[in-house]
Amino acid sequence: MALPALSESPQTIYDMIEQSTTLHYIKVDGLSVRYKTGPHTELIAVDGVSFNLERGGTLGIVGESGCGKSTLARALLGYTRPGSYFYSGSVHIGDRDILGLDDVLMREYRGGLASMVPQNSLGSLTPHQTVGRLIFELVCLHSGLHGKAAKFRVLELMDSTHLPDPAELYDRYPHELSGGQRQRLVIAAALVAKPELIVLDEPTTALDKTIETKVLDLVREMQRDTGTTLIYVSHDINVIAAMCERVLVMYDGRILEQGKTLDVFADPSTPYARELVASVPCLSRSHSVQQGSKEPGKNVAGSDTTQSLLKITDLSFEYSSLKGLFTKVTGNPKVLDRVSFGIAPGQVLGLVGESGSGKSTLANLIVGLATGYTGTIELSGEKISGLAKHRDHTLTRRIQIIFQDPLSSLNPQHTVETLLCRPMQIFFGYTRNQARDEAVKLLEELELSSDFLSRRPRQLSGGQQQRIAIARAFAAKPDIVLCDEITSALDVTIQAQVLEILGRLKREYEMAYLFISHDLAVVSSISDTLMVLEQGQIRDYGPCADVITKPTSPYTERLLDAFESQITDSVKKKEKRA
Amino acid sequence: MVNMIESGPTRAMETLQENRILRPLREPSTAFGVSLCLMHLFLALFAYSIVPYSISQLFTDGLTLPTAVHWLGTDQIGRDYLSRLLVGGQVALSVSLVGVMAAMIVGTILGLMAGYFGGKVDSVVMRITDTLMSIPELILIAVLVLTFGKSIGALMFVITMVYLPGVIRVVRSKAVSITMLDYVRAAELRHESTWFILIREMMPNMLGLLAVELAIRTSSAILKISALSFLGLGISQPTPDWGLMVQEAMSVVFTDPWFLFLPSIMLSSLIIGINFAVDGFARSFGISTDDL
Repeated sequence: MALPALSESPQTIYDMIEQSTTLHYIKVDGLSVRYKTGPHTELIAVDGVSFNLERGGTLGIVGESGCGKSTLARALLGYTRPGSYFYSGSVHIGDRDILGLDDVLMREYRGGLASMVPQNSLGSLTPHQTVGRLIFELVCLHSGLHGKAAKFRVLELMDSTHLPDPAELYDRYPHELSGGQRQRLVIAAALVAKPELIVLDEPTTALDKTIETKVLDLVREMQRDTGTTLIYVSHDINVIAAMCERVLVMYDGRILEQGKTLDVFADPSTPYARELVASVPCLSRSHSVQQGSKEPGKNVAGSDTTQSLLKITDLSFEYSSLKGLFTKVTGNPKVLDRVSFGIAPGQVLGLVGESGSGKSTLANLIVGLATGYTGTIELSGEKISGLAKHRDHTLTRRIQIIFQDPLSSLNPQHTVETLLCRPMQIFFGYTRNQARDEAVKLLEELELSSDFLSRRPRQLSGGQQQRIAIARAFAAKPDIVLCDEITSALDVTIQAQVLEILGRLKREYEMAYLFISHDLAVVSSISDTLMVLEQGQIRDYGPCADVITKPTSPYTERLLDAFESQITDSVKKKEKRA
Repeated sequence: MVNMIESGPTRAMETLQENRILRPLREPSTAFGVSLCLMHLFLALFAYSIVPYSISQLFTDGLTLPTAVHWLGTDQIGRDYLSRLLVGGQVALSVSLVGVMAAMIVGTILGLMAGYFGGKVDSVVMRITDTLMSIPELILIAVLVLTFGKSIGALMFVITMVYLPGVIRVVRSKAVSITMLDYVRAAELRHESTWFILIREMMPNMLGLLAVELAIRTSSAILKISALSFLGLGISQPTPDWGLMVQEAMSVVFTDPWFLFLPSIMLSSLIIGINFAVDGFARSFGISTDDL
C-alpha cells in the first residue's frame, strides 16, 4: 500500500472513520461466525454477538478454551480462520462496516488502523529474518520511511517497549530472544502504524508470571500514552480485571454477560460467570495471614523432621554435557543445587518456580525417571536411588506421579479400565475382575460412573481425563503423590474441581503431595508448606502462610507481587463501597 | 462450540458419516481405488475357479487373435491368454504381500526398539539400516537372486530385505516421538516389561501408519516383482505373471501390441487401485503419505 496517497484521497479508511459521528467507535451487531465441518454440518463458533465500545476504551473478552473468543477477536480484524466464514451480523468501526471492505481497504485497515498481538510470538515471527528486519519492513510499508530514517524508527519502537539495547537486538533472530522479549517485539510490531485499535489475543499466556506482569505494565503504559482502543482476549480473569474497564464473558459462542469489569466480577448475574469467578484461585497476603493465624502451632517445615515420609538431602543435579570425541566440557549450570527438604505423611508441599527452575527435574529424580544426581533421597528412612525400573516394586508403588497433560499421560488406545486396572494387577497381583471392582470404587470416589470404564481418553473431557490420571495414581495406593503442573492444562473451573478432589482425597487417605506448579495462587490454595525454587536453588521454604506474608528472598517478593490478585482487591473495594 | 447444524443428509450418507472406517469411501477416488483393489483381491483368491481354460494347456500352434472360443486369443505357444491374464497377478501379489508383511513385522520390532531404547541400540540398528540402504536396490536384488536362486521363497526374502530398511526408519521416527510421551513414562513407573511397553503401549498408536506402510510398500513390491520378472530375475515360466507376459510381448510389440497392453493395464489398475485407496484412508486418518 502506498501510504502517501492516503492524505490526498478522501476515500481512505482513515478519513471515513475520522468523519464518523457515531457515538460508539466499535459497534458489533449480531455477529455470527461458523465453521464448515462437513457437507451438512456446521459449527457455530460465534453466535449472534453484539457489543459496543467507545474510542479509547479497554474491553476484555474472557472465557474458557473453545468458547469462541479468539474467533471473535479475529473477526474484529475482518479475518476468519480457514474453513470458517461470517454467517451474519456486522462489525462497524466508526460508521463503516469493515466486513464489507474490499481487499485494498481491508489491508489498509488491518495493518494501519487496527493491529493484532498474537499469542504465540515465536510462531508469528519469521524465523529466518532478524527481528530488526521484520519491523523495518513493516515501517517501510506503513509509514513510508526508508533507509536510515526507517531504522531509526524501528529502534525507537523497540526502545518504547523497553527492550534492552535495541541496537544489539536488531540483528538477532527470533529464537535468540527470550519469551518476554519476543512478546515485547510483537507489541512493537503492532504499534508500527500507530493503530487506533489493538487486539491482543492471549499475549501473555505462554509467559512466566513475573514476565507477564512486565508485559502487562507495558501494554497499560502504551494504552495510556497513545489512547488506543484495546481489546484484550484472555482466559485469565485476573489479567482481564487488571487491564480492562469493560468485560465480555463468553460461553459456547455467546455473550453471557457484559458490563463494567468491576460490576461483572464483583456481582456476576449468571451461574456460569459466578462459577468462573469463584474458581479463580486468589492470592492475597492479608487473606493468607488469617488462614495462617488459624493454625499457629502447626509447624510442618524443616528438613530435619525425623518423621519425614520423604526426605531429600543436598540433592544436586546437572545434565552431563555432550561429550565430544576428545573433549569433555565441564562446569554446566546446575539444574538443582543442594536442595534439601522433607514431607511428612498427610502433608502437602507446594513447589513454585518459573520454567527452567528445575522443579520437574526434581520430580523426575524422586520418582526415578532420571538419575545421576548427588545427595540422598529417602522414603520412610529407606534410601532410594537409580531409575524406577531398577527399584524395588513397593518403592515405586509408594511414590506415584501425575503428569501435566492427561492427553499425553493416558495412552489414547487404552480404555479407562485398562488404564486403571494395569497398576493394580502389577502391584497387587489382582485378577482382572478384582481390579475391575476396585477401579469402579475408585471412579465413584472421583464422582465418575462405572460407564467410564469402557471409554477411551479422547472420549472424555479435559477435566475427566485428569481425574482418570489421578485415579490411576491412587490405584497404586501410594504414600506420596507428585503432582507435576497437573492443573496448568485445564480451564479455571475444571482446575477448581481437580483441586477440590485432591484436597478431599488427601483428607481421606492421609496422602502426602508434592504439588508442583508455576502458579503461586494455585499452590498456596492447597499447600501446607511452600518452597520457592529459582535456578535450582531454594529461595524460600516454610509454612505456606509464612512464606506468603514474610518472604525472605527478593525473588519470592517479586513473584508475590506478580501474583497479588487484582480481582480480590477490586471485589473487596466494591464490597466496602456497598 | 458444540452446536451442530444438520440439514437433512440421506440415510446412506449418514451411515458412512458415522462409521469412521468407511467414511473415506465417500470420496469418489477412494471408492474407485477400493473397488479396483477388491476386484484384484477377488481374482487373486478365486481366479483358478473362474478361468475358462487350464493355464498350461496348449490349444493352438502360436499366437492367435481373439475368437469366440478364446476371447483374448492365445499366446506365443498356444495357451489361452484370458486365463493366464486373470491368474497372472496371483503370484506377484502373494509374494509381495508375504515379503512386505515379513519386512513390516521385523522392521516394526527393530524400529520400536531403536526408537525406544535410543543410544547404542539405536546406533547399531540404524547403521545396519543405512548400510542396507546404501546398496543400490537392483544390485542387492541381483546378488540375492543369484545367491538363493529363483524360487518363490527366495523372491519373498528379496522383497523383505529390500523393504526392511524403509520400514525401520519410518517406525523408528514415530517411535522416537511416542517415547517422549508421558504414558510411556507411566508404564515404566509401574514396572511394565519392555515387551509390553513396545507392543501394548507404543505399537497401537502407530497402527494407522503401519497399515498405510503395508499397503504402499505392497503396491511398490508388486511393481518391483514385475520388473524383476521382466528382467528375468523374478518369476519364471511356466508360472503366469504380468511382468513375464510383458516381456514375452516385447518381441511382437509392433505386430500385436494387444499382448503388451493387457498385462500392463492389469498391473497398473492394481497399483493405481492400491494407491488411491491408501491415499484416501491415510488422508482421513491424518497420516501424510508424502514421506513414506
